[in-house]
Amino acid sequence: MNRNTWISAYARFLGTTFSVNLQAVMEYRVNFLIQAFGMMLNNAAFALFWGVLIERTGGIGGYGFSDIMFIWALVSSSFGLAHILFGNIRSLGRIVQKGELDLYLLQPKDVFLNLLASRTIVSAWGDFIYGFIVLCFLPGLSLGRLAIFSSFVCSGGLIFAATFAAAESLTFFMGNSSAISSAIAEFMLSFSLYPETVFDRGMRWVFYSILPSGFIAFVPLAVFKGLNWAMMPLVWIVALAYVAASYSLFRLGLKRYESGNQIGARL
Amino acid sequence: MTASAAVRRLGKYREVARMSARNKLRYRGNFAGSMLTYGLFVYVFSRIWAAAYAGKAGIAGYDYSMSVWYFIIAEVSVFGFGRFFWNLAEDLKSGQVAYLLAKPYGFIGYHFAQAMGQGLLDAGVIFLEGLAAGLILAGLPPNFMLWRLALVMVSLLIAGCLQFFLQMSIAMTAFWVEENAAFFWIFQKLALVVGTLLPLEFLPLWAQTAAVWTPLPSLSYAPGRIAVAASPGESLVLMGLQLAWLAAATLLSRLVFMAGHRKISIQGG
Amino acid sequence: MNVIEAEGLEKTFTTRVKPEGLKASFASLVKPRMREVAAVKGVSFEVESGEVLAFLGPNGAGKSTTIKMLTGILAPSAGKARVLGLDPAKERLELSRYIGAVFGQRSQLWFHLPPADSFRLIGAIYEIDESDRIWRQAELVERFGLAPYMDVPVRKLSLGERIRCEIAASLLPCPQVLFLDEPTIGLDVIAKREIRLLLAEAAEVDDVTVFLTSHDIGDIEKLCKRAIIIHHGEVVVDESMKDLRHRALARKLVGVKYAEPVRFQIDGLSPVKVKAADVAGAAGIAGAAGVAGAGDGAWTAASFEVDTRCHQLPDLIRALAEKGEILDLTVEDEPLENIIAGIYGAQSGAEAAAAARPRTASAPAAPQTTAPAGEKAFS
Repeated sequence: MNRNTWISAYARFLGTTFSVNLQAVMEYRVNFLIQAFGMMLNNAAFALFWGVLIERTGGIGGYGFSDIMFIWALVSSSFGLAHILFGNIRSLGRIVQKGELDLYLLQPKDVFLNLLASRTIVSAWGDFIYGFIVLCFLPGLSLGRLAIFSSFVCSGGLIFAATFAAAESLTFFMGNSSAISSAIAEFMLSFSLYPETVFDRGMRWVFYSILPSGFIAFVPLAVFKGLNWAMMPLVWIVALAYVAASYSLFRLGLKRYESGNQIGARL
Repeated sequence: MTASAAVRRLGKYREVARMSARNKLRYRGNFAGSMLTYGLFVYVFSRIWAAAYAGKAGIAGYDYSMSVWYFIIAEVSVFGFGRFFWNLAEDLKSGQVAYLLAKPYGFIGYHFAQAMGQGLLDAGVIFLEGLAAGLILAGLPPNFMLWRLALVMVSLLIAGCLQFFLQMSIAMTAFWVEENAAFFWIFQKLALVVGTLLPLEFLPLWAQTAAVWTPLPSLSYAPGRIAVAASPGESLVLMGLQLAWLAAATLLSRLVFMAGHRKISIQGG
Repeated sequence: MNVIEAEGLEKTFTTRVKPEGLKASFASLVKPRMREVAAVKGVSFEVESGEVLAFLGPNGAGKSTTIKMLTGILAPSAGKARVLGLDPAKERLELSRYIGAVFGQRSQLWFHLPPADSFRLIGAIYEIDESDRIWRQAELVERFGLAPYMDVPVRKLSLGERIRCEIAASLLPCPQVLFLDEPTIGLDVIAKREIRLLLAEAAEVDDVTVFLTSHDIGDIEKLCKRAIIIHHGEVVVDESMKDLRHRALARKLVGVKYAEPVRFQIDGLSPVKVKAADVAGAAGIAGAAGVAGAGDGAWTAASFEVDTRCHQLPDLIRALAEKGEILDLTVEDEPLENIIAGIYGAQSGAEAAAAARPRTASAPAAPQTTAPAGEKAFS
């Protein structure tokens, strides 16, 4: 197929999927608001925790309160974006297990993309918005910083999605990877939120490999504070590499897919 | 009811718990995952505490070793019993309620047995891992005494039951609202802030005072405090409070269930 | 032209075996035991363009697995498949543009949204021009009578309405082959009839080849021109519905009722059920087994199971008429369901194939109620 028509076909497909997603959310307007509010409240509770700790200690590992709030804002919005656009990143394993992948295999669109994009998580909108609200309260906000922040939200969203989906793809190989994948997800989310400097060097490599918190939070913090534009393309290249790796892992797993007659009852 | 009938009645719940425990054992990944997270979590927090205590001997009456051990015990409650909600919510939403209601066991009792079958396994494994991790990272806990170990286990058990009844009550909001995960998030994060990540004493005074009026300190703070600081007398008070909240939560879950059941029988599932 | 070709398709699954007991659970945590299960073992058949084919078999026979191999969801362990000239395992994406699938229990519609939105999304997924999509959708809505449901969230539709929407949705991209896995499961009589009519119409109007699995003999009798029955992963029957039905037609159930009790015996044909005229007055119904010597008693009514390849039906009726004044006479076909049940009941593929083989050819074992082969004159 012609490259242009291929791109426009996918653009139309993703656009329609997103609009249908949005409609599905709007079917439950009240719920949407409750959930978005709920997530913001949850995030605010964490701000409280950091406030308390830093009040007691006067800064942890060189991070002040506003530094921590920045990585909170960034992680929250990226995490939200990933779940808004690719709502199935945390359900992929369950879908594979229940044999519901068949549906996507029967449709003439890329299975990975089709599967991930065909759902949106309502509460994620709260996370997404929260980050921008927190950003407004941070010192030294400018248009340039808003641009940097937005760019990092997008790259971070891709890294989150790629990592979570890769963890869920382990289901293809293990039968049930729910514990490991939720561990990876929780771990990555939680530890993007702590000062990098408290960890000793031997530990920090993790944040630039299997749990790429470094590219989601720590590098962006340095860029944001120093207005160091040069690092931005690097983060984007890394993000795309994670997406490519995650995609490959899924394709590899798909070959092993043995569909869903669930031989052997309840999993 | 005769004694043997009572035994028979309870027997089926024991069987449910056993089944659920066996189900848990089916996959190696089930334990490996949460053990990994917990281990890393404990490690990372020990680093954070190390950074926080750099140049300080004590904060709010806790030293480094106490804070690390506190965290280890407090998190057992979260890792062992903190995630019942998801299975419960899934069951409630998938429309299985109607089938369960038609079966000859108590709705809440059935879920309690199922949750505890897995929860006790989880908590036991995590507890042992925590003891090992604590010994490596912080050495023997300060003021270590055997009675503490025994009371901590009882206190964790009560905390586990309390976790269940609170989460069950939240999960049963599914009778009214479609997506109730947000409620659970809020509960979970509040519990995290109030007494799990930090001992209660770290919070500002007003927050400490307010927390006393919630069940949150009974979930993690009580076992954590008993493990590192509480005197025998204070330990008994903390556990008494835990039991009182357990009774209240049990009652709450019954009330929510009755209201939800009435709603279902009027409007249909 | 063949649209579907299967040649020696095989599929073997590996499942984990878990012995009973808590202790064994711990053991299998360390060292799981695996077992191979052959779901499909060497299935071959061809389907021509425009055919409406019934693909039958008891639960676990390998129907769904075969369909999944034909649609590219599963790769065969051995053998070859071609659908519309494409290899499903290698060219799934290309193939998916030209085939539709309705899996009774799995929905392609968005649960919380009206079907109209799902149709729009399907249009985008299959890259149908928006104007074409609207035109095609209007036609399907008209034919399937979906107008009242298009703006109602799917979760509020009844199962019958939902399946109608599902089928319409899968016809939206104008597929050349439509796979249906138990489309009428759980539906009531009326809804079933509607679905059958719509499918028959679709085969006719849209010129689509229909590949249907079902447990409902009604679906198959009403809809299909040909049936393939698989059992234990092997094809045991592959013939036209006419032949299959003809086999059923060869066996007749003949019932007769007399005004007066009669007393007679037909050579080599004993009744399967009689109503004896009791001399004492109280008439009773007894099964054939219970009245071994029934031929000697007096009857007011009886029924016979007749294999028309052994006995001429007119001869039998003539013989019955000579015995007394007939009040009522019924001749019924043996239900197709019985024939299929006979095949399903077999313990292995080979046995099922034997059960499916027509009994006339070498006239071996005679049916219970008849004498050894050959025509008899009734006297």
